[in-house]
Amino acid sequence: MATHLEIKDSLQTFTDNFNKNDRLKIMNRDWNRVVVVKATDIESIHTWTLKDGVLALKEGEAGDPDLTVISDSETLSDVFYGDVTPIEPYNNGTLRIMGSEDDITRLDFICLMIWGE
Amino acid sequence: MQLKRVLTLRTVVATSVGLTLASSSFVAAVLVANYVLGDTAWIAILIGGALCFLAAACFSELNGLLPTAAGIRLYFSRAFNDQVSLVVSLLYMLIVVVGVVGVESYILSRVLSETFPSIPPYYWIVVMLLLVTAMNLRGIKIAGVFQDVVTYSLIIVIVIIGLFALSKVGFKLNAPLSPGGAAGIIQAVAVGVFLFVGFEWVTPLVEEVTQVKQISRGMMIALGILSVVYAIFTVAMTAVVPKEILVASPAPQLVLARAVLGDVGASLMIVIILATSMKTFNAGMISVSRFMYASAREHVLPAVFSKVSMRYFTPWVAIITLFFIGLLAAAITLLTNNYLVLVGLAAAMSSIVYALVGLAVISLRRRMPEQDRPYLIKGGYFVPLLTALVFTLLAVAVLAADLTALLYMAVAFVVVLVYVNTVVPRLKKKYEARKPAARRRPARAPQGSEGE
Repeated sequence: MATHLEIKDSLQTFTDNFNKNDRLKIMNRDWNRVVVVKATDIESIHTWTLKDGVLALKEGEAGDPDLTVISDSETLSDVFYGDVTPIEPYNNGTLRIMGSEDDITRLDFICLMIWGE
Repeated sequence: MQLKRVLTLRTVVATSVGLTLASSSFVAAVLVANYVLGDTAWIAILIGGALCFLAAACFSELNGLLPTAAGIRLYFSRAFNDQVSLVVSLLYMLIVVVGVVGVESYILSRVLSETFPSIPPYYWIVVMLLLVTAMNLRGIKIAGVFQDVVTYSLIIVIVIIGLFALSKVGFKLNAPLSPGGAAGIIQAVAVGVFLFVGFEWVTPLVEEVTQVKQISRGMMIALGILSVVYAIFTVAMTAVVPKEILVASPAPQLVLARAVLGDVGASLMIVIILATSMKTFNAGMISVSRFMYASAREHVLPAVFSKVSMRYFTPWVAIITLFFIGLLAAAITLLTNNYLVLVGLAAAMSSIVYALVGLAVISLRRRMPEQDRPYLIKGGYFVPLLTALVFTLLAVAVLAADLTALLYMAVAFVVVLVYVNTVVPRLKKKYEARKPAARRRPARAPQGSEGE
């Protein structure tokens, strides 16, 4: 089981990598979304706000997210550190993402752009 | 916590109906009518629809248990194993896509070349596929409300034409309650499954609705609507036009429209055929290109299929590959003129998947007994068992009656099986070799020194 801090670090690493990548920022400048990341086995909720191509992370839950990512703490940490692709836990049912199919695919594209295959 | 954008039941129903209703459905409807006597196709269609209700109930239970856009890929992986899941998913995508694209493009090209004889049939296919491919590459999607309007309008127009045709013969049907022997009815119902192929492709929307039960309700309502619409229109076709003429035509719906409404009806039907075929091509390309992308990301298809357009965020390699597969399927169908075998093939493959869905419900009740099930089929194992048995019988009935379809199915199965057992392990090995040696996630600090 990962800790709340490990999840936070993984999300922060992801956020930093996103914001350092100018190409990603340009590509997502019109994709304004709120993404909630929630652990199932520990108390840990974070919210990403992507606005005008800039990604911001904060602790806690947003009111009306566009996407909600739900999984156990280990999977969340591994996915956002880029040690596993989101598709693997998604296809075996460990990771749940609630939101539109297009948004889910876009989130995976972003992981692919940041971490590669 | 509520998602910002959620789908309504109306859109769930429209999506399920829209994915199912294709121009080729009417070819299958005529095949159904040809297996039974008189104007009794409605009996076989309603039985087929009722049987699909059983499959829909099984899909609903699985969808509630494992709410995911991955669908059968996850259900079968949990219920059986990853290999079975992969073989069935790949085979289903391959056969249904090639089957539906092949038949749709054949119908479309015949209809359009009849209307514009100077333009060769294949030209139309290239143009249509190019259009759909361009839309997919640009990530252009038909907006929800517009899609609802198109689907419901299509349904209303089809019902009106059907009822108008029936009124022309004073609603007098030829022996409407005497379908003939059991063998004919079984064959009719088996082929009739093709009419409902795709109703369950709405399950990926589970992540976009507020309640999982909306998906089950949507599937059931869609099946009800489709059963009634197909029954009315098919009976109208056989009541007005001799079956021999309908069977000989790749677009029997056009024959009926021309017979009852003349050139105006024919023009209207051509518009309907164009709209439904475009909708089918588009929905197929969206679903399958995403499936190919996801498969490449989990290293069961070559990594090239996970390439994404930097401008439009669409899996462009998968989309272009599907364009060429579509062209090939259409070319082979046009050259051989054997489009009916594809109807049988898609009907059989769908029946196999529905039978496995019944078995998956049984298996997962044993493997995951404690898991919450928002939708639980009442009556214990009766419905899933019946689903598995009935659809196995229907798959056997279709394949036994069409040996070419059986041959294609066997070849496709062997190819996919060999692929899953030889190529997939290599792709996974290649990925493991490319993976960074060290994990990016920092090693865990000794206990006691952690943060919160």
